[in-house]
Amino acid sequence: MSTPLGRRIRGVVLTLGSLFAAAGLAWSQGPSRPAPPDLSGFWINQYTPDLSVALGAQPPFTAFGAERWRTVDTSKDPTGHCLPVGPSRGFTAPFPFLLVQNTDTVSILFEYQSIWRAIYLDGRGHPDDVAEYPYFMGHSVGHWEDDTLVVDTTGIDERSWLDTAGHEHSAKLRLTERFQRKTPDTMQWTVTYDDPVYFTRPWSITRTFTRGKPDDRLLPYTCNENNKDVEHLRPHQPNLNYKHTPDAKPATKPPGGPGR
Amino acid sequence: MTRWMAAAFLALAMCAVDRPLMAHHSFAAEYDKNKPITITGAVSRIEWANPHVYFYLDVKASPRPGTWAIEGGAPNTLYRAGWRKDSLHIGDIVTVHGYLARDGTKLANMSKVILADGREVLGGQQDGGPSAPKRPGQ
Repeated sequence: MSTPLGRRIRGVVLTLGSLFAAAGLAWSQGPSRPAPPDLSGFWINQYTPDLSVALGAQPPFTAFGAERWRTVDTSKDPTGHCLPVGPSRGFTAPFPFLLVQNTDTVSILFEYQSIWRAIYLDGRGHPDDVAEYPYFMGHSVGHWEDDTLVVDTTGIDERSWLDTAGHEHSAKLRLTERFQRKTPDTMQWTVTYDDPVYFTRPWSITRTFTRGKPDDRLLPYTCNENNKDVEHLRPHQPNLNYKHTPDAKPATKPPGGPGR
Repeated sequence: MTRWMAAAFLALAMCAVDRPLMAHHSFAAEYDKNKPITITGAVSRIEWANPHVYFYLDVKASPRPGTWAIEGGAPNTLYRAGWRKDSLHIGDIVTVHGYLARDGTKLANMSKVILADGREVLGGQQDGGPSAPKRPGQ
């Protein structure tokens, strides 16, 4: 097309083609949204050996949950036998973690027990058989709500404990966690415990993680290299006088939790 | 010193000894907080390992002479507080304030370890998270 008309037609076609291509690209990517904040870094936990202290009361136990609490034997703490700490207790233990954030995954590397959590952000759900093949650290999927990472965890092996005090859970436990940086060096974590076997309704606590110093590093932790506690543990049931008062509040959805 | 004053002094002294915080697994399943103990001996062995640092004392005095095992804090917590494997040396004469094991063995959980010259060592080792325990030399 070397005539003036031909060149003009070519120009129009190229321009229109570029415009359509750009529009198509924009349409396929959806409306533009700001990139999520980067939560990566070395974070120090707010040590919480007893969740009821953070909550300000015992959790809203079912009759079954209350009886489990009343009779719990703290010598049976799974971590005392080097079994994994569980997904939420890793964030209340007195050891730091490294958070590594990518587009499709967030990895949590806990110093305690040198154990990890993988949070999948690619839109997948939980495996159909996760209840039959549970994880001590649970199976986690997440998504961003503006600047908050929202994580949904199921398939948590019921042998894990929720804390050092001895709050337990069933295989039906579902955790909802919200991670949000409040300042450059602090991150707020709100965890909601939803377990109809143990609790009459979901309940939540909030803790604050503090960023470590630039030269902080994860230190080694191999639990069973010299675990001499095991042979000296004796049964200990500190809650035998616990009096359960059935929960008066109706069941409510946790604030900001995922739809069910 | 009257009995009243002695009792008050003892009560004050007890308050000064660090209370053991709930560790990452149950203190009370292994140790008896109603059985505080003070023993003095020479360090014969140090185990700087997870989940807890241990050291062993050669105790000469009655009523229970022999080798005592002393359980301390977590190595990572101690390390971050500035303590090291050689903070205690083989042969150091130390006094341990602690709590007796429930099973009757020569085992105690330390709350304070004091060298002959009065300096504290491996101290402030509560598994207490970000608040810094006492550093050596402070």
